[in-house]
Amino acid sequence: MTRARLATPELVLLVLLVGELVWFSLAATNFLTLDNGLEIVRASAEVGLLALALTPVILTGGIDLSCGALLGLSAVVFGAIWRDAGQPIAVAAAAALGVGLLGGAVNAWMVAGFGRPALIVTLGTASLFRGLAEGLTGGAVNYSGFPASFLHLGQGRVLGLPTQAWVLIAAAALIAVLVHAATIGRALRAIGYAPEGARFAGIPVGRRLALVYLLSGGAAGVAGLVYAARLGQARADAGTGFELSAITAVVLGGTSIFGGRGSVWGTMLGLVALGVLANGLRLADQPAELAGVLTGILLVVAIGVGARRGRA
Amino acid sequence: MNRPLWVALAWAALLALVAVVAPAFFDPVNLRDLIVRASPLLIVACGMTIVILARQIDISVGSQFAICGVVAGLLAREGLPMPLVAAGTMLAGAALGAINGVLVARLGLPAIVVTLATLVAWREGLRFATEGVWVQDLPATFQWFGLGQDIGRWLIGIGAAAVWASIAFVLGWTPAGRAVYATGSDAEVARLLGVRPPLVIAGSFIVMGALTGLAALLSAVQFIDVQANAGIGLELSVIAAVVVGGTSVSGGRGSLTGTLAGVALLATVGPALTFLGAPAAWERALQGAIILIAVSAEGFSRVRRVKEQHA
Repeated sequence: MTRARLATPELVLLVLLVGELVWFSLAATNFLTLDNGLEIVRASAEVGLLALALTPVILTGGIDLSCGALLGLSAVVFGAIWRDAGQPIAVAAAAALGVGLLGGAVNAWMVAGFGRPALIVTLGTASLFRGLAEGLTGGAVNYSGFPASFLHLGQGRVLGLPTQAWVLIAAAALIAVLVHAATIGRALRAIGYAPEGARFAGIPVGRRLALVYLLSGGAAGVAGLVYAARLGQARADAGTGFELSAITAVVLGGTSIFGGRGSVWGTMLGLVALGVLANGLRLADQPAELAGVLTGILLVVAIGVGARRGRA
Repeated sequence: MNRPLWVALAWAALLALVAVVAPAFFDPVNLRDLIVRASPLLIVACGMTIVILARQIDISVGSQFAICGVVAGLLAREGLPMPLVAAGTMLAGAALGAINGVLVARLGLPAIVVTLATLVAWREGLRFATEGVWVQDLPATFQWFGLGQDIGRWLIGIGAAAVWASIAFVLGWTPAGRAVYATGSDAEVARLLGVRPPLVIAGSFIVMGALTGLAALLSAVQFIDVQANAGIGLELSVIAAVVVGGTSVSGGRGSLTGTLAGVALLATVGPALTFLGAPAAWERALQGAIILIAVSAEGFSRVRRVKEQHA
């Protein structure tokens, strides 16, 4: 019993992370430096935003496969409004956020309003959002040449940290309060355990579900802006596969894919573990593909440990 | 409401529209190319129907598809005769499917996470192994099975039709097929009826893998070289076709007739768009819209059914 309680996914992950740090500081050059640490944060920010917003979604037993595609759509809309429509950056950014929220609202409407399975709904909207981005750009247009003031969001620093790190911290704080310190968090877990029971307990299941999908859409909008600012370009394929990395970070962090159990703190740890792995392997001159293979194995092991714990 | 019928009607309407606006679409050569291109999709969709009927999901098929294509190329380059190449490729697919099957059925892990992990691991593992290099210098017996374009195309179409017919038979008229439906409807009740759900689930993943291998072969023989990055996003088109065809993701409900209609509709949309003069870049958006319409249509009919019951 005690042993089971000690082996929380977060703790396992922490041990793993320490292992990674030891390995890479021995095997890689320039790994254990402050600059490299900040580089890892910069590279993980977009997936991090998606993963943070996915945590409450998965807590309710849902999933959002469309967030990567929505990131791409908002980045493309941002570029189109700024360059093609000649609007100021602020208007374009607001439009990108609006697209994110609108996309989230479509998911919310289908899942919470219609009661359709989130897996299939967000599979469909993933196709729709990515397809709209491809249609808008004709599959070829690449928006770039953004002003330096905007690129600062993705490439600059504020108070010593990469600018997007502050966005990530703010998002983490917001989601952490929502999940861990607000009654809404309790409601989300209750829905994840038993939606029917939650309804009988007087929880407005539909509205809570709508909220988490809306949040996920909003996060995709913000992540689209950060992505465009970091790379200085916006294309229809922006953020391809990010939803998979984000889900990996969340599940690695100990959140149960069936809902009901999980923490924001675990998601952050999962994110760092993935970011450090990719970065360390690169600095250790290991092929980048190894990171993908290891991530897959880690994911199976983590979920296996979680399932065993859930059954015990 | 009969979903396959509605989807077939939508397909017929699309064809009618194309017939009026761009009759050139019905040129035999174009239709033949359409069927050849849709054949691998149909084969994978047959496997996916079984998996989804058993209340599971496999999002790793795109990566399996890529690995099996490369395996087919390598086996052919070793000088193996084509029937052995086909057997080896399907065996490779079945082995990959078995890994998913064991992890899901034996260890009880959720299929979506397991296949998400294998999706990433296989894809990156293949990239690692091949370094992105295509399989080239294939023997003359590889492309179109060495039988020339015409017979090769016929073989691909017939192969897909045969797979569809035999899986439809198994699902509809054999105890094995009933076991799949029973497992997907309610695994506990199925167990009490003497079905072994873990076996059924593992089996469905293995069949899925073998069919993905066959599809990869039938797709690879259409070209001179084998691409190392084939099948990216295949899982989305396949699941979309199955769901549009009316198979329920909560398991136990659906049919291969529906899957055939779904594949036909989704595979026609893209080429039809081009013939209607719309930019091909909008194809995916339209496919997404079709999925959403299909998903919400199921929602409406369920609401109506519940209301009728309570009336």
